[in-house]
Order: sequence, then C-alpha cells, then structure tokens
Amino acid sequence: MIQPYDVSTNPMNTVEWLFAAMECVHIGSFALSIGTITMVDMSLLGAGIGGRSPAQILRATESWTMVGLITVITAGLAIFSSDPLRYYYSPTFRFKIWVLLAAIVFNYTFHRRVSLSGSSPFIAKATGAISVILWGTVVFSGLFFAFNPGGY
Amino acid sequence: MSIATLSHAIQSTGFFTSVRQSELFYPTVMATHLSCIAVFGGMILMTNLRLMNLALKHTPASVVIESLRAWKRIGFVIMITCGILLAGSHLDKYYVNPYFQLKLSLLVITGIHGLIFHRSVYYNASLDQGGKLPAKAAIAGGTSLILWLTIVICGRWIAYYDDPNAIANLLRRLAHLV
Repeated sequence: MIQPYDVSTNPMNTVEWLFAAMECVHIGSFALSIGTITMVDMSLLGAGIGGRSPAQILRATESWTMVGLITVITAGLAIFSSDPLRYYYSPTFRFKIWVLLAAIVFNYTFHRRVSLSGSSPFIAKATGAISVILWGTVVFSGLFFAFNPGGY
Repeated sequence: MSIATLSHAIQSTGFFTSVRQSELFYPTVMATHLSCIAVFGGMILMTNLRLMNLALKHTPASVVIESLRAWKRIGFVIMITCGILLAGSHLDKYYVNPYFQLKLSLLVITGIHGLIFHRSVYYNASLDQGGKLPAKAAIAGGTSLILWLTIVICGRWIAYYDDPNAIANLLRRLAHLV
C-alpha cells in the first residue's frame, strides 16, 4: 500500500537548520554553475577574460559548471520536497522551472556550439546576451517566489 | 546616542522608509544581490580554486586574477549598494542580529586578508614563475574561499534569526558533537 507523502515527516521540515543549510548549498552551487557559465558569456560578449577565447574558457570551466548544476538541482529538489504542492501550484515557480529548462538546453546546445566553433561576432554576442538573460531570470524568479511567504 | 537610536534614525529616513515599503523594489534589490553572488561570487570561487591549483590549471593564476579584477570590482560595488539598501531599510532588526554582525566582521576580515596578500599574491605578476604556485597562493585562496562561503551562509542565516541565544546554542550543540 502506498502511503500518501506527509511533508511533516520530511527532515527538511523537522530538522531546524536543514532547510537553511540547503538554501546555502543552493546559493553556493549556483555561484559555481552560473558563475562559470557567465565567464564564457563575457568572453562571447567580447568583454574577454585574459584574452582567452570562449572555447578555452568553456573547456576550462565545463566540469565545474556540471558539478555546480548537479549540486544546485539536488539542493533545489530537497527544498522543493519541503512543500511540493506550494511549489507545484505557484505560477512564479513554474515560470522559473521553464526558464531553467530552457537555460540548460540552450547552454548545452546553441551556447556550447557557438562557444566552441567561433561564430560571427554578432551571433557570439547574441548567444552571450541570451545566456545571461536566461540565467538571470532563473535567479530572479527564484527569489521572487521565495520572497512571497505562503503566497505564489 | 545609542546604536539603537542611530539605527532607528537611519531606517526612518524618507529614503530607507520608501525602500522598505516598496512592494517591487525591495525584492528586486534582493534578487540583484543574489544575482551578483551568481556572477561575481562565481568569479571569486574560480579565482580561489585556481590559487589552490584545483581549476583553470592551463591559465596562469596571475592572469586569472588580473583579468577578473575589474569585473569583481564592479560586482562588489553593486553588491555593497544592494546590501546597504537591504540592511539600511531594516537596520532596527539587523544591527542586533548576530549573523549580520558576524557577516560585517567577516567582510572586514576579508578586506584585511586582501591587504595581507596584496603584494605577495594578488598583485604579484611573477606568481606563477617556476611553473608551480607558492604555498602562500593556496593559503590565500583557501582562506578567501572559507571567508566568502561563511559570509554567504551568514547572509542566509540573518533571515532565520529570532533567538537571541542562537549562536551560543549553536556553539553549545557543536561542542556537544565534538
């Protein structure tokens, strides 16, 4: 017999410090994942990092980006599990998840191809700008959801 | 004048009152503060990992530091501006908050850390000479990493503080574990 999920038994709700600790992990690991992606974006935008090409920066940071993404999503799932229904029914949270999925897909398809192949300056700049906007929107919508306690 | 009256006077100025009462501006400042952690915090993280010889190994540490310096400065200014807006508009609550006090102290210590390693690491063009980073580079990177992570943790914990004995209790619990 499958028992209905009871949030009140979730350690995220019973252990006093665990929720906040997960938020810290979430913040630290999005610094790692988004921070490294932004370093590639900046070189795509022509702002440059020590004269390195986007391809060089991508190659040097991609494994850290992956570690950051896996950690940030794992911590995010733990946070989600503390009150799944509230998240599920929140338009702000849904928006965040759609933009997040778009950002991840964009990052591993177009963004990656443009960074590695060295496209025209316009395409490179547009790719960098779209990436910054996508990831910025993810952070903003996450905060706007969290800032509205009990609401949507 | 006590800190209490000073804090109250600051947060009661027309400017900070309107920041506090704005429905959209306050969370926007907070989201910007957080986005800065993503962008510029990420750079600090990567610089420290480079100094510890864990990441970006094909780029000399001095080049990583030099090329991210301007960006980190820009980020720091945005970050501090947002921080002043956030804390200033709730200063009554903040100045008694031990996590806020700890966070500010750690920011000062981070400044001192930067001064200590100013010439030997952060403005040392020959840092990578000999193909191997000196131990002081790893020490600078490691302590900076711990300082910044603790600052982020304190920042988050500010929001959860409601018990005046919170830190004492936490230390007691930690002592119990050991």
